[in-house]
Amino acid sequence: MLRQPLTRALALSSSSRIAPLGVRRYAEALAQPEKVEVFIDDKPVYVPPGTTVLQAAAMVGVEIPRFCYHERLAVAGNCRMCLVEVEKSPKPVAACAMPVMKGMRVKTTSDLTKKAREGVMEFLLVNHPLDCPICDQGGECDLQDQSMAFGSDKSRFTDIHFSGKRAVEDKDVGPLIKTIMTRCIHCTRCIRFASEVAGVDDFGTTGRGTDMQVGTYVEKMFLSELSGNIIDLCPVGALTSKPYSFAARPWETRRIDSVDVLDPLGSNIVVATRTNEVLRILPRTNEEINEEWLSDKSRFACDGLKRQRLVTPMVADSRGNLTPVEWEDAIVAAAHAIRDCPPNKLVAIAGELADAESLVALKDLVNRLGGENVCTEQYFPMGGSGTDLRSSYLLNTKIANVEDADFVLLIGTNVRFEAPLLNARIRKAFIHKETDVAYIGPKVDLTYEYTHVGDSASIVKELATGSSNHEVLKRLQSAKRPVVILGADQLKTSEGSALLAFTQELALRLQDKLEDKEWKVLNVLQRTASQVAALDVGYKPGVGAILQDGPKVVYLLGADAGVVTRESLPKDCVVIYQGHHGDVGASIADVVLPGAAYTEKRGTYVNAEGRAQQTLPAVTPPGKAREDWKILRALSEVLGARLPYDTLDEVRHRMAEISPSLVAYGDVQNNNYFAQARVLAQSLQKPVSGKLDVQLKQLEDFFMTDAISRASPTMAKCVQAVLKQKQSPY
Amino acid sequence: MSNIAKFLALDKVATFFNIIKQNGGIRGSLFKLYRQDELKDGTLVGEDKFGNKYFENPRYFYGRNRWVEYSDKFHMNYDGSQVPAEWYGWLHYKTDLPPHLDPNRPKYKWMKDWNENLSGTTGQYTPYSTTRPKIEAWEPKSKSTV
Amino acid sequence: MAGALARIVQGTKSHLGIAGPLVSITSGSVRFQQTESQGKTKYGPLADADRVFTNLYGRHDWRLKGALARGDWYMTKNILEKGTDWIVNELKTSGLRGRGGAGFPTGMKWSFMNKPSDGRPKYLVVNADEGEPGTCKDREIMRHDPHKLIEGCLIAGRAMGAQAAYIYIRGEFYNEASNLQVAIAEAYQAGLIGKNSCGSGYDFDVFVHRGAGAYICGEETALIESIEGKQGKPRLKPPFPADVGLFGCPTTVNNVETIAVSPTICRRGGKWFASFGRTRNSGTKLFNISGHVNTPCTVEEEMSIPLKELIERHAGGVCGGWDNLLAIIPGGSSTPLIPKHVCETVLMDFDGLVAAQTSLGTAAIIVMDKSTDIVKAIARLIMFYKHESCGQCTPCREGVSWMNKMIYRFVEGNASPKEIDMLWEISKQIEGHTICALGDGAAWPVQGLIRHFRPELERRMQTYAMTHGPSKAERLY
Repeated sequence: MLRQPLTRALALSSSSRIAPLGVRRYAEALAQPEKVEVFIDDKPVYVPPGTTVLQAAAMVGVEIPRFCYHERLAVAGNCRMCLVEVEKSPKPVAACAMPVMKGMRVKTTSDLTKKAREGVMEFLLVNHPLDCPICDQGGECDLQDQSMAFGSDKSRFTDIHFSGKRAVEDKDVGPLIKTIMTRCIHCTRCIRFASEVAGVDDFGTTGRGTDMQVGTYVEKMFLSELSGNIIDLCPVGALTSKPYSFAARPWETRRIDSVDVLDPLGSNIVVATRTNEVLRILPRTNEEINEEWLSDKSRFACDGLKRQRLVTPMVADSRGNLTPVEWEDAIVAAAHAIRDCPPNKLVAIAGELADAESLVALKDLVNRLGGENVCTEQYFPMGGSGTDLRSSYLLNTKIANVEDADFVLLIGTNVRFEAPLLNARIRKAFIHKETDVAYIGPKVDLTYEYTHVGDSASIVKELATGSSNHEVLKRLQSAKRPVVILGADQLKTSEGSALLAFTQELALRLQDKLEDKEWKVLNVLQRTASQVAALDVGYKPGVGAILQDGPKVVYLLGADAGVVTRESLPKDCVVIYQGHHGDVGASIADVVLPGAAYTEKRGTYVNAEGRAQQTLPAVTPPGKAREDWKILRALSEVLGARLPYDTLDEVRHRMAEISPSLVAYGDVQNNNYFAQARVLAQSLQKPVSGKLDVQLKQLEDFFMTDAISRASPTMAKCVQAVLKQKQSPY
Repeated sequence: MSNIAKFLALDKVATFFNIIKQNGGIRGSLFKLYRQDELKDGTLVGEDKFGNKYFENPRYFYGRNRWVEYSDKFHMNYDGSQVPAEWYGWLHYKTDLPPHLDPNRPKYKWMKDWNENLSGTTGQYTPYSTTRPKIEAWEPKSKSTV
Repeated sequence: MAGALARIVQGTKSHLGIAGPLVSITSGSVRFQQTESQGKTKYGPLADADRVFTNLYGRHDWRLKGALARGDWYMTKNILEKGTDWIVNELKTSGLRGRGGAGFPTGMKWSFMNKPSDGRPKYLVVNADEGEPGTCKDREIMRHDPHKLIEGCLIAGRAMGAQAAYIYIRGEFYNEASNLQVAIAEAYQAGLIGKNSCGSGYDFDVFVHRGAGAYICGEETALIESIEGKQGKPRLKPPFPADVGLFGCPTTVNNVETIAVSPTICRRGGKWFASFGRTRNSGTKLFNISGHVNTPCTVEEEMSIPLKELIERHAGGVCGGWDNLLAIIPGGSSTPLIPKHVCETVLMDFDGLVAAQTSLGTAAIIVMDKSTDIVKAIARLIMFYKHESCGQCTPCREGVSWMNKMIYRFVEGNASPKEIDMLWEISKQIEGHTICALGDGAAWPVQGLIRHFRPELERRMQTYAMTHGPSKAERLY
């Protein structure tokens, strides 16, 4: 484990070393020691002691070149690119590692500094291959950029004509990362990322001196759900994306800021497209959510957007085979079915990738027809306050604040695979802030040590009532900033409502005693990107009861989780599927209306914290596919129940009427009414006895969870590779 | 006599009436004028199997003395590619023997019928694409036929 | 490796932790004030009565009994009871400078450990990873006088309030490690160390940790990493080991010789020790003389003894007479060589050798007579550094192997004279830009060679060009 005295002591001597620059509320609350004055190129700047020269320089806008230094990783100081002259020091110092001292005068443009940079640059290039024309990093390569800016203008590598350059064998680290190790400049960012953030200590260096190699010690796959990030971290082309290899140059691509929908966190992404094709997805920095990381599924499942797509409306012919038709025919067919159906027999089910606009449009449409049956696939207990109080179904602590927690209790959720970046936050807190973690549920690998309390639901009850004599209860009670996270998967069982009630009870008991009145303890981690928006809009969670009434028309809005099957429906029931992938939903449908995927529309998604964010169209929907709310709007026209909005702004206006938080992009509101929810939940505290189980236990379960990732060949390769790796003795 | 007639351009008048007559009277001539933008008189040299008629009149100067009147079934949609290959040679002065009078022309079984150029119509030739489609559409599984 | 520790002012600062900038002013004056009046004018030979290491040649019993007979462990309890301040003060008076190569004042180094405790234990680490080519002083101490070292550990540990000493011994020193381990066992049995050491009420443990033979593990932070069970790669400084060292606790790393002389200093007084050698270069020192001399040896001598006298008196002179001398590497492989005319007059102490643009290092004198292929000799040293570079930081990893490629071409003469300046520049690009001092240690021999033997390099290139035609490098560069 990383959590060793050295790191501890390092963190002790300078708190800002590892913590990111973004200072949040809780970090600010700590008493700040007096600032010291330093001079960067004679510009004075006041910084807290322990700041490094490089950080101080960044504050006055002086960027010091670096390769190994990365704000979110430990300082290695081995590339020596950041050498700067400091007055009174005869040799240049490494700016990334040198803490500032009072009155220090740093010269970043002096001759000594320039000479040092040029020297280091020359050394880095001695053994770096000149294969930029065939290197995928070309155009976004730190080495290219910095050798232009700081390198020498001529070469003097006479020795390559006598002895050549060093060559290193490539490694095979799985289907996502392509390695060309000859290009490696040994900055060790990937090693540090793997051991610090990903929690997989597979990377390291072997050999000494010129023979030093970065790699896995034995050839094995990089078994992490965050592995793709080392591609971004690599300053050269040693680690590049395998699915994206030789696809495009960065200057050819158009980049559109968007939001990921494949997990409930709503990580911020950049979609790179060219000629109306999504080529790759990169993370976009958002300190509140994903920092600058991205999970492998969100990053690499984008090739699933090009497979198994619904490109044309389809209607089942007399033999039940879906045949392509024009929009008009499909809409009319759908309208016929709906018109013939009594409103109470019409059921609308929203899936996990539905945007808030289409959710609102679908609900409005059903309501206008006189129906009430709109529901989501994911269940949530409706007892007590149900979904009336937002605090009951959100991640109230907020993702970024989890870092400041001092004790985390996870109930029935494998955070590592359900929300990888939330898990990265917990791990960060575990390593840098001494946070301890307890876990109730089946044993899983969370990449950090945790106290396994058991897998029985009754433990939650015991903790909530205070009757447990487990040490975790004491730890929870003595914690200043505890966090309790309940996995939404646990709520679908018959004991779900009791489990939620006990969790609320436990969390609020802890919360009441806290000195920090702003701190929220209760968290429910949803599984899907659409669930929070659907609950906000007023969808009923779960389909169970509604389906038993024998619906005549089922309208599936991207519902692919498989909760509706043909067998569970009456024979004459008409299934209308609207969505973008031919998956579970489309295969049981009688009418298929092709919609747009998240990269193809401007859609609102509310993440697990309750933060509304919007995706932007990066490409046009394929074929005859259309934006989802427009399809519903057109259908309403034919049905004679015209929805009163014609433009996206009008839809958003309608959303704001329902809940202003749906259009407050980027913001997340503080939740209150915990106490009321607790009172309403009192009656639900019934004995529980079941075992908690999680759906995603192993890495191979993680890759294919929704319509897009199921269609992705890359994700399929990942599953195969992980299974193969498991066969290996290493 | 003839000089006087020539002087008074009577021969031209005679030709005019002759042309009108050959082209089916005033109505017929107006229709031909509408369809072909010209009226000519000449000897019918032959007719191909599509119904195109080939005329010749040496009174017109070289280059205009052979012409085709397209078959009525083409209506207004006639174009040069409707002339079959065998008549093409005669029409373009490659040979003076019309195909039906030329015994040396080979006739083989495998020779295909003449086909006009279909560009711009639904029957036009489109080369198949060698690039993979950017989007692979979902193919619904066909349900077993009962 | 210890020999390659920073031997220049800025290197010394690295041992000072946060107090670095404060001290550098004083230590700067220490180094370069040559004009100071000296009490003595003649240095050496050392009288037998003044020798610290009385069993250097293993002629007597090295075990506890013999050690006691030679005066080790005598009144150790009294020394311990005099307390931290007294010991540190005595060391400061003695003017003892670190014997590992950097020459940092030991008393001052120990006093850094006496900051108010924050609850973490403190450790003494003894650097017995004597890997510098030419150096063989610590092994003599460990195999023939191990009790001196163990007693030194106890006293040094007391002076800095350490809980335990770790002796990191080079893997190749099998017999030395075994002798040392026996001596430690004896000392434990006799109650000299362990709980209530020497009856002083002070608990102190000594552990031996055997290395695996990497030269870089002689660098103090790499050594600490190696003891912790990681790859022996130097750490960034700051934080200095006195702040965050072994297992994250304050740590002092000292050379074997430094530790082993400290009991004698405490017994005979700092003033006695200071009476040898020039001011600020005081004391006695083990000199290792190897190479082209008639009787290579390790000998304890007074500091500041003239180099010529040292060789003539103890090593039986240079093979073929003094006039056959070509050059001398005065302080282990990492120090720049000095040619004969400098050797005539130079005094063997820190300041004397700095004035001659070289360094005392570990005082391992490598003598080369005129039969030496000087370029090849230096090339072989660079190959050693290339092999031992840890590969962590860029200038050392890439630069040293580049230098190695070039200098082997220089050996043949297959190079352009213009490349001599390029090599000099590359060595300057390495020096001072690395995490630890190995890069400096690799750059200095090359610089010494170019400084003093440039005509030889040019001659070789001419000879090559005459026989083989102009070198390919001539066209390329």
